[in-house]
Amino acid sequence: MPKHYRPAGKKKEGNAAKYITRTKAVKYLQISLATFRKLCILKGVFPRDPKKKVEGNHKTYYHMKDIAFLFHDPLIEKFREIKVHRKKVKKAVAKKNKDLADRLLNRPPTYKLDRLILERYPSFVDALRDLDDCLTMVHLFAALPAVEGERVQVQRIHNCRRLSHEWQAYISRTHSLRKTFISVKGIYYQAEVQGQKITWLTPHALQQVLTDDVDFNVMLTFLEFYETLLGFMNFKLYHSINVNYPPVLDPRLEALASELYALCRYMSSGIVPGNSESAKLVEDKDESELRLAQLQHQLPSNEPGALMHLVQESTAADVEDDDAKECSSLFKNLKFYLSREVPRESLLFIIPAFGGTVSWEGEGAPFDETDEDITHQIVDRPTQSHVFLSREYVQPQWIYDCVNARIILPAEGYVVGRVPPPHLSPFVDNSAEGYIPEYAETIKKLQAAARNQVLPLPSIGDEDMEKTLVEAIIDRSASNEVAEKKRKLEMLEQQYHDELKMEYEGKTYSHMKSDNQSDVVDNDSEAANNHVDDSYKQAEKDAADISKTVMSRKQRGLLEAIEIHHSRKKDKVNLLKKRKKNAESSASAKGR
Amino acid sequence: MGHSDGDHDDLSADDSPWSEDIWSDDNEGSLSFEDSGEGSDAESDETDAPAAEESDSSEDEVAPRNTVGDVPLVWYKDEEHIGYDISGRKIKKRDREGRIEAYLRNADDAKNWRKIYDEYNDEEVQITKEEAKIISRMLKGKTPHTNVDPYPDYVDWFEYDDKGHPLSSAPEPKRRFVPSKWEQKKVVKLVRAIRKGWIKFDKPKEEPNFYLLWGDETDTADNKRQGLSYIPAPKPNLPGHEESYNPSVEYIPTQEEIDSYQLMYEEDRPKFIPRRFDCLRSVPAYEKALREGFDRCLDLYLCPRTRKKRINIDPESLKPKLPSKKDLRPYPRTCYLEFKGHNGPVKSLSVEASGQWIASGSSDGTIRVWEVETGRCIKVWKVGGVVHRVAWNPQPDRHILAAIVDHDLLLLNAEIGDEEVQMRTKKLLHIEELAPEEEETGDKKPAVKWVNHDKFDGIVLIHHKAVSTVEWHFKGDYFTTVVPSGDSRAVLLHQLSKKHSHHPFRKLPGLPIAAVFHPSQKMFFVATKKFVQVYDLQKAQIVKKLESGVREISSISIHPGGDNVIVGSKMVNCVGLILIYPHVHTRH
Repeated sequence: MPKHYRPAGKKKEGNAAKYITRTKAVKYLQISLATFRKLCILKGVFPRDPKKKVEGNHKTYYHMKDIAFLFHDPLIEKFREIKVHRKKVKKAVAKKNKDLADRLLNRPPTYKLDRLILERYPSFVDALRDLDDCLTMVHLFAALPAVEGERVQVQRIHNCRRLSHEWQAYISRTHSLRKTFISVKGIYYQAEVQGQKITWLTPHALQQVLTDDVDFNVMLTFLEFYETLLGFMNFKLYHSINVNYPPVLDPRLEALASELYALCRYMSSGIVPGNSESAKLVEDKDESELRLAQLQHQLPSNEPGALMHLVQESTAADVEDDDAKECSSLFKNLKFYLSREVPRESLLFIIPAFGGTVSWEGEGAPFDETDEDITHQIVDRPTQSHVFLSREYVQPQWIYDCVNARIILPAEGYVVGRVPPPHLSPFVDNSAEGYIPEYAETIKKLQAAARNQVLPLPSIGDEDMEKTLVEAIIDRSASNEVAEKKRKLEMLEQQYHDELKMEYEGKTYSHMKSDNQSDVVDNDSEAANNHVDDSYKQAEKDAADISKTVMSRKQRGLLEAIEIHHSRKKDKVNLLKKRKKNAESSASAKGR
Repeated sequence: MGHSDGDHDDLSADDSPWSEDIWSDDNEGSLSFEDSGEGSDAESDETDAPAAEESDSSEDEVAPRNTVGDVPLVWYKDEEHIGYDISGRKIKKRDREGRIEAYLRNADDAKNWRKIYDEYNDEEVQITKEEAKIISRMLKGKTPHTNVDPYPDYVDWFEYDDKGHPLSSAPEPKRRFVPSKWEQKKVVKLVRAIRKGWIKFDKPKEEPNFYLLWGDETDTADNKRQGLSYIPAPKPNLPGHEESYNPSVEYIPTQEEIDSYQLMYEEDRPKFIPRRFDCLRSVPAYEKALREGFDRCLDLYLCPRTRKKRINIDPESLKPKLPSKKDLRPYPRTCYLEFKGHNGPVKSLSVEASGQWIASGSSDGTIRVWEVETGRCIKVWKVGGVVHRVAWNPQPDRHILAAIVDHDLLLLNAEIGDEEVQMRTKKLLHIEELAPEEEETGDKKPAVKWVNHDKFDGIVLIHHKAVSTVEWHFKGDYFTTVVPSGDSRAVLLHQLSKKHSHHPFRKLPGLPIAAVFHPSQKMFFVATKKFVQVYDLQKAQIVKKLESGVREISSISIHPGGDNVIVGSKMVNCVGLILIYPHVHTRH
């Protein structure tokens, strides 16, 4: 058949044939809209914008190939089966055929999504690249109330909690966490796994309210896919560090809602090479596994020191870059204790990820508050009644700021009862933004100071000494500025004195004028210079205008858009500066 | 009930006179019923029922002693009577007993438990034993009277035909002894279904949920995604400083700024207003968390995705590179000669064909001819009007200068060169006779009138309207003038040798701006506001129409080689130069 021949009723070539509207696609697939939606979500099919919208501008278009892709998916058949099954059960119940209903309910048709995952993400890195949304969603659902009768099944929420803990345990264990940020929306984390930067958001550990303005069907479909994806991801990641995947946790710790700690412990014990006891036990079945999990508690590796030792060993084995090394040794040799009121889950995740040892107030904690080796206690209350002199009492923000700055910041600003310094986002490129907050500069100086100093990282004992050194270096850089200022002041003063002297000697104004005539001349020349400058500027502007008029209309539009963008950015920065100035002036007024 | 006999005696003895009045109304039956009831229950079945009925009705009949009616008794609390009897006398209340007295009396009285004080009638009523029994039965939820049977045997009052034969005498049917065929069929069906595995009772085996999905990453062919190219969804924006729970002061808007957001359009309004919390524990749950998650989901599956290249362009690179002045060298940079003499602005300049002379026209009303080499002014004509244009005759041996002064065209003899040339020029610029022509045209004013100029020894071409341009033919005999407001006589052709002029174009596409001769061929170009029309002079027809594409043509010129036409236009800011190739294409 020649190419130009088009049988009657066939689509034309081009966009009309390549793209199909959603309504038509649903009709073509012979499924309901809800099923289509679900299918699209699971298969990752999204609408595409054709160059020419044949059917109208306000319609959604899918590529015909995508629709064909859906058409041939076995999942469609499975969905039909489920629908039929539901009808059968309904019928059996209506006919009071309880046997049949039970039998049917016993074996509902199920489907698996592993094939879909492999189809959408043929390689592991692809999956890692798209993991942001998955993690955010799973963490969000993990924070929802696990209450029977709500719109989300309790079991799924528990599953989300488990998956998120497993992920966090892996990140913490491999020290791949890079940045953290407490925002109003929750806590942002950024980790680097296999060279991919993965950012996710966990809501604050507070009661979330299920609102009515969201469609849970859509979200749960997404969650279904994400749960499976994260499960497989976790399996692969655990596999890569030689840990059995569905981890068996100590039920005692699990009951105390410290799954993360339990997981960490599981992982660290799972890689003990010469642990014959555990090796023996592993061969046994589930029951013994549970026993093993309990035994982990009694193993020597449970002591924090030993745990750290193991972590060290494993990280030494890994091939890693400087970044990871820096991260894993940030809180090395530091021992933290969390008070009741701080967000425990987040800190239990972060501190070990940066090489620290941590315990908390409550049951199942590895060590007590009275432990002498504790260097920092994280407290978030107005006053601390009982104070150990051997440790610092800091607010939780200190940890997050230290992590972002990658140095141990001086704890003075974060002491209990004080308003901590501003918490800055590590995701902002300050220089690109054009405005550097004050505290960012302070941190920069501290970092520079820490870099210059080729000292081993602060051990517990000489912490104070180290701090003074840091301060000294900061002082040195600051002192230069001060000297400059002083010099200027002196000059001004000198001038003032000279004038006074002249007055004393009784020189009249005219004299002075004649004296200062040279100055006047200077001024004139300056004015002339200014004039020249102005004309030069004018010429430059003219040249710019000419080149603008020579441009094509499209390019001119682009240029104007860029200019608008730049001016907006500038306005923003100016606004920030103005606010800062206002705040400072009001503060100084108050101080007086 | 040992003291039942005594009870009855006490009842009659203890009763006060007013109580006897009531009881005296009771008929004998009731009393006898009590007696008989005590004697035997079974025997008195028949007699009791009417008696009971009677007593019920009699109780209703007894008028209450109290005649106050249905009013609260509190009203009579302090009175000593309770209403009036039929003869109008007060019905007195009983005397109040002291508590001790009452107690003593009650203690002595064994039947005290049966006495009830009737407040309404102000009397003490003694319940009979029978009544007490009724009350106790009612409390137990039984019928008040013992002799009422709530479940009597059913008496079949009607007769039936089959009454004498309770069982059928028909032989037992076979189906009672043979197993059911249909049941068997059903069972067979089930059995077969079970055998074939259509019906399974055990729960399906649980397979391990997760396994190593991604194996070795070595074979790249398998790792390719099938189908259309995948466009990953853009990642959500990372949070800035302002989203911090504890942002620095400058990120927090003042109250006025927050108020001013209300005046903005909803799209422009900032979605997030930074807030500052003093400590981490005071940060509340983010109420829009679910909503934002949901919005992200919607974006992921509903938004059309296209790949767009976002290039980080330096705005400077967009601007076309203007050639630097250095590259344009050599160009005159220093002033070599100045021709001084004009008092007003010079409006037009023309170089003679040999290049030795320059003519200039100024708005001070003079035309001057200069020698190029020395800058000496050779000749001055004081024409007494604004000189718009000057043009030399292109023939080197004809030193004729065409100048537009005010409305009209002036042909002047420059009087340079050797004498022979000067003579010829002078001859050329002389009109012999013109009277008959004038008569011919008669009523209509001619477009052009050739008149000798007496003062300067030249010719004046008096046009009917203002002339804007003048251009010479390369042979120097013909020249053309354009009168923009001349309608059908806008473009004029003049022949110098015959002192004759005509207007060949009746119709033009728009207002004529300028007209030029081709430098070597017999072609003629007329520029209107938007087009350039090319005419063949010999065939007297249009050859080509060139579209310049500029908004308004202001001038036109032809390259001496004859291949290119250049058109100048009045653009907004600058003068665009447009090249038109008469043969094939146009280039801007």
